[in-house]
Amino acid sequence: MSTLEKPRSEEGRVIRRPGPRETRPESAHRRRRTLEVSLAVAVPVVLVLLWQLAATQQWIDDRVYPAPSSIASDGWQRALDGELWPDVWATLKRVLAGYVIGTVAGYLLGLLMGALPLVRAALEPMMDALYVVPKLALLPIFLNMFGLGEGPQIALVAATVFFFVWISTMAAVLAVPEGHRDAGQVFGASHRQMFRHVLLPASLPAVLVGARIAAGVAVLVIVASESIAASDGLGHLIFDSRALFQNDVMFVGIVCVAILGVVFSELVRIAGRFLTPWAPRDRGRGQS
Amino acid sequence: MRTPASARGARPATAHALVPTVTLALALVLSACSAQQDSALSTEPRTIKPVAGCDDNAWTDPGKLSGTRSPARCDKGAPAPRPLKKHRKITIATSTLTAEYVGPLQIAIEKGEFKKEGLDVDLKVLPTPEALPLLAKGELDALWAAPEAAVINGINSGFDIRWVAGNFSPAPSSKSGLWTRLRKGETPDSVHLADRKVGTLIGKGSVISYAMDKVLAQHGATMKSMSFQQLGSSDVLTALTTGGVDAAWLLDPVWRKVDGDKRYAFLGGQPAGEPLGGALFGPNLLSDDVDAGVALLRGYIRTINTYFAGDYKKNAAFVAELAKALKQDAKVVKSVPSLRMDWEIRKGTTDRLQKAYRDAGVTEGKPLPEEKLVDRKLYAEAVGHKP
Repeated sequence: MSTLEKPRSEEGRVIRRPGPRETRPESAHRRRRTLEVSLAVAVPVVLVLLWQLAATQQWIDDRVYPAPSSIASDGWQRALDGELWPDVWATLKRVLAGYVIGTVAGYLLGLLMGALPLVRAALEPMMDALYVVPKLALLPIFLNMFGLGEGPQIALVAATVFFFVWISTMAAVLAVPEGHRDAGQVFGASHRQMFRHVLLPASLPAVLVGARIAAGVAVLVIVASESIAASDGLGHLIFDSRALFQNDVMFVGIVCVAILGVVFSELVRIAGRFLTPWAPRDRGRGQS
Repeated sequence: MRTPASARGARPATAHALVPTVTLALALVLSACSAQQDSALSTEPRTIKPVAGCDDNAWTDPGKLSGTRSPARCDKGAPAPRPLKKHRKITIATSTLTAEYVGPLQIAIEKGEFKKEGLDVDLKVLPTPEALPLLAKGELDALWAAPEAAVINGINSGFDIRWVAGNFSPAPSSKSGLWTRLRKGETPDSVHLADRKVGTLIGKGSVISYAMDKVLAQHGATMKSMSFQQLGSSDVLTALTTGGVDAAWLLDPVWRKVDGDKRYAFLGGQPAGEPLGGALFGPNLLSDDVDAGVALLRGYIRTINTYFAGDYKKNAAFVAELAKALKQDAKVVKSVPSLRMDWEIRKGTTDRLQKAYRDAGVTEGKPLPEEKLVDRKLYAEAVGHKP
């Protein structure tokens, strides 16, 4: 922390003395990170403890809001009994399959539309219109197209992910500075080389940001979809147990979804870090 | 000494991070303060007086399970209103306002039958799982639903809720129930359902589980040997006709679409003469204000006796009125047979329901005895029946 001293002369000079951030930047940064990590851990811990206290003291109705300890013990027991994993696996495979299909399709179309103005002119209005359609509204259409089973669920995730990746890819390609393309042309780069050495490295960081947002939304959509037309999965578990007034099971499902969402999003971020070492370092949630 | 903005930002940032935490904590504590655990029901014995217009036919032995049993009835307009000393507002939750079994409630409101009792009834659309805690806390007075698995689980966890009146049983000509697509060489009698997929709008925790359990048993299957696909109302029929599922539970009036088509067979529906739903009361009407609970049921029973006593769909004017109240097309209402409105609850229904739920794996623990789930005293008082 630097400090400012009061002016000592009539000219109103301001003297800035270096603070710890300037004199000992590493330790200041370490302290700041420690504070952030502590807050990130302490806030949820305090909230959970408060919840636990409220439930055990019967300030809240623990039949409606089960205590965190009973949610944890129920979840643990279900995991040991093997009752939880089929639902986790069912959701996971739908998310992964839909995510891969949506990402690849969105990336390819985004590249195409970013690179070729005529393709963009032809498709952009239609894609913009489709983008604003709530994806869950497409579920009945996918049910008719793919029948019952995994098809509609995977298609719904793919459609959701597709638009996030498509938009971020197209925007990233369009944002590649003209100078980079010119440099490629000066060096006589072929279309393939231009893609490999100019467009890909310049656009990939932004694409991966879109892919990371899509990872969270994919989990969100699959849970909603499984609640409507699935006989397994975490969404089915949550809504089925809600319908049966088994609130502890419902909360186990909610916690699993939250963990799945965080883990999936973090994996995409880590993958992005490895795939784009040239991109500005993303240090996760703490931004200092 | 002045602190530069960069340094000043550190403390507010921490403070900003703590603001949502404190707000959430406060919200949690405040919501906690408003929550309350329910107390056990305590009802004093009540005097039951004979009711004019409600004779022996106003009560049937709960143990009679015959499908051909005539439901209890009083004279038209009976039991007569006995207005409460003080006007009272009653809030009833129901998951739908358009289903025909809600008809007596809607018509009672329309015709002022509850008003005559000194009740101002307000219907709220709320699914059963959401309504249960509100009913137990007294924020709702009644729930027009069924003793679903959620209700059993709620009562099992300590909610003071009882099933106090029935709603209907299907007409003998009704084909609302389990339909299957016939395979080559199959006849309705030779259908073997084991390992087939069933599409249903309602989950395994619905009272339909009991009816389905019975039908499946007749066709070599159990709830556990079948796979279930929960679908939206319009998708159930589509799934059956396109081959997505082998069988489907079709409700009124959807079954009319496959009735008469030789590719499909009706295997069975809700047991005749046995209502599986109706009114569920919470502590407000079970113990705090029993007079209001009896008054509500009296208005309901009078509405049945006055407007729904027999084949009420023979009266075109009433069908139009009912359709309007249910916000349905009169043709749709007319397309299926009249329900047998029945305010009574059969003996053992909750035992059979609980068995079906356990078979389906949606309830745990020991089954609850009937007296923990059912209270027939209120409708007995409304029709003047002394036990």
